[in-house]
Amino acid sequence: MHIADGILSNEVCLGAGVLAAGAIGLSLRKLNDTVSLRTVPLTGMMAAVIFAAQMVKFPLAFAPAYGHLLGGVLAAIVVGPWAGCVAMAIVLFLQMALFADGGWLAYGANALNMGVVGSLGGHAIYSIISRRFAGPRGKIAGAVVAAWLSVVAGSALFSVEFALSHRGGEFDLPKLFAVMTTLHSLVGVGEALITGGVVSYLLAVWPDLIDAPSRPPGVIAGLGRVVWTGAVVALAVAAFLAPFASEGADALEQTAERFKFDKFERTPVALVLPDYEVPIPGVDVSTGAWHKLSVALAGVFGTSAVLGISLVLGRVARTRLAARDAEATHAG
Amino acid sequence: MPGDFLDRYSLGNTVCHRLPPTLKIVLAAAVIAGCALLPVAYWPAHGCLACLVFVGLSLAEIPLSYLVHRLALFLPLVLVTALSVPLSRGFAGGWEIAATVVIRSLVAFLAALWLVSTTPFDRLLAAMSRLGMPRLFSALLAFTYRYIYVLFDELARMKTAQRARTFGKRSAWQRWTATTRLVGLLLIRALNRAVRIHGAMVSRGWRGDMRTLD
Amino acid sequence: MSHAPAPILKVAHLSYRYPVGQIALCDVNFVVGVNEIVGLVGPNGAGKTTLLLHLNGLLLGTRLAPRNGETASVGTAGYVGAAQNAAGADSNNESRAPVEVLGMPVIPENFPEIRRNVGVMFQDPDDQLFCPTVRDDVAFGPLNLDFPRDEVLRRVAESLASVGLAGFEDRRPHELSFGEKRRVCLAGVLACEPSLLALDEPSSNLDPRSRRGLIEILKKCPAAQIIASHDLELVVELCSRVIVLDQGRIQADGPTREILGNEALMARHGLEVPLSIRYGLEFGKGPR
Repeated sequence: MHIADGILSNEVCLGAGVLAAGAIGLSLRKLNDTVSLRTVPLTGMMAAVIFAAQMVKFPLAFAPAYGHLLGGVLAAIVVGPWAGCVAMAIVLFLQMALFADGGWLAYGANALNMGVVGSLGGHAIYSIISRRFAGPRGKIAGAVVAAWLSVVAGSALFSVEFALSHRGGEFDLPKLFAVMTTLHSLVGVGEALITGGVVSYLLAVWPDLIDAPSRPPGVIAGLGRVVWTGAVVALAVAAFLAPFASEGADALEQTAERFKFDKFERTPVALVLPDYEVPIPGVDVSTGAWHKLSVALAGVFGTSAVLGISLVLGRVARTRLAARDAEATHAG
Repeated sequence: MPGDFLDRYSLGNTVCHRLPPTLKIVLAAAVIAGCALLPVAYWPAHGCLACLVFVGLSLAEIPLSYLVHRLALFLPLVLVTALSVPLSRGFAGGWEIAATVVIRSLVAFLAALWLVSTTPFDRLLAAMSRLGMPRLFSALLAFTYRYIYVLFDELARMKTAQRARTFGKRSAWQRWTATTRLVGLLLIRALNRAVRIHGAMVSRGWRGDMRTLD
Repeated sequence: MSHAPAPILKVAHLSYRYPVGQIALCDVNFVVGVNEIVGLVGPNGAGKTTLLLHLNGLLLGTRLAPRNGETASVGTAGYVGAAQNAAGADSNNESRAPVEVLGMPVIPENFPEIRRNVGVMFQDPDDQLFCPTVRDDVAFGPLNLDFPRDEVLRRVAESLASVGLAGFEDRRPHELSFGEKRRVCLAGVLACEPSLLALDEPSSNLDPRSRRGLIEILKKCPAAQIIASHDLELVVELCSRVIVLDQGRIQADGPTREILGNEALMARHGLEVPLSIRYGLEFGKGPR
């Protein structure tokens, strides 16, 4: 997921850097302005937790493969959007400096795709949903949906950045967009599962930790709407437009370029997802006839999976909470 | 604890280690930016920068085996990206672009590696905040860097404890919930620790502003 | 010690209830004089750590009126910022805070001066070593007390030397052994040159050599000390006086050998007569 140097053009790196610096700078300002001195150690510790938690391999239920946490949404839910944004920026900086994950020039793009979108956008979505449904179910559903959307939105942002970097014509934005968002709608299921699982555990063990989200500040709410809309559009593209996009490609292929386009599609995938081993069951994105169906299926699958997860986790948390309450009344 | 932190050679004592950190940051940044700004296929200049970086790495006495190990993790990614250019042109051209992409990534990667391997992380942060990084950000980076080690140890202990209590074949669901619990517990413990750390900071007179000896 | 000069620490009718409602401290009274080293013993959950956190205002308890001292009137107080209610819950309109350090009530206005004078060492050294290098960590206190750079560096060198870690300035905390970590913590506290040292389990998890080193350091330290510990032999060696705390109340307060040698008292509060005292008593040497 981390972009190395040399992949995006200098202009795009610069632009993304300015945007990310603005968002992180604003978050730092907000952090500095908070009344509680505790925010500083909490933010640093949250970053350390995300850093360590990213090393934990999650066995995914549906395949002999592993996923890992990205954490933007989780951080934002636990310490708030601004502190979460700073925490993610710190995690990404340390990964760049200590593990060489992501290039120094591409730091802005990485911080934007994974940090800012995940924490600020993710938190906005989380608070919109969790305020609509009271209780732990709303929070879990919010966390699950926000986690999933943050991954999809991040990938959509990456495809825009990538396409802007290679305007020479050899890359086809709608198609790249479709492939990236489709694939990440699956990767996002992993993120949604993990975030939802951890949040439901936290709610069962230490419910006070995750306060009822207050009304998000205007900026974030706006950003949340943008991400929300963007992701829904991306999903729509993935599920419904992608088949037509590849139809166009089929026509093109007939003229000359079939082999090369098919091959090309694999590259951005391999390029941005080296550390994700999330498989695509029954979907081989590159072959022509399967393309339409698989792309549409993946999009639909992603959506329904996320809905399913939030329902299941909501139920699990409710039983756990009920058990805890019963225990408490028993003891007391 | 994962042993491949980049800064494990940062406590050496070579010419490169003794250079002032600020100078090293400027040098590394200049090499990275210079390489990114060079036009495609301007080989002599690319070659010079690459040589410069290799000289720096050998002066810093970074073992070759270590470099090879790092590159083995890094290069496949870059090669795939670079090859996508000639691939999309049916191998009829674009080789120069591909080569430039590889060289750019390589030089940037090695220059960053040189910087981090010759400068202890705290010095690097101090120099960066002198160069304009917000003080709160560098203080948080230092804090996080400090506690990554503590949390890795804690995570390892928790994993051992979990392994000691579980045996036999478990379903994917069980393994998944166990891992979720692991992360959740780590989070709770870490946040409790943050509250205690806050107490320790306040006890020593902290009033919210970050002060350093620099 | 009855006519000691102005006490370093005075705790009067201190009570504290956790935010969840459980009572942690109830009507705690004691005074610590200059140069006194007081041991604080009691079973797990007795309230030792909670008591230490009150000494520099990390927790703010309430002053319980001695006349109607039922537990029901114990007020709650939050953590630092939330607690301006130090005196609010008083039932006899007594406006003084329950804890006084050098005659200053422990209230937010006095925090800077109080934290300069009270050094607290916590149980887990990792909680206290939050800076990237040993130098930064020991310098943290003096820097926040607004000392000039030269003075800070002098104090860092001096306090590291006093704990036997001269030359450790550039080491990184995660490379230190547990004993070294704890000594760096102590150096960080000593660098503020406190008049009262509050130590929470200073010898836990230390190997015998580190423990011995720590005891020698504490013996040389000029500050008054209050040491919460399960290591009763350490208490016997260092402290002239012992306070037994159990269930949030002071159960006994007196000369070390007298208190720790009282078998019935020790057993009642989940403690044991230290072997050195038992051995001494058996052979007729008697306490003291």
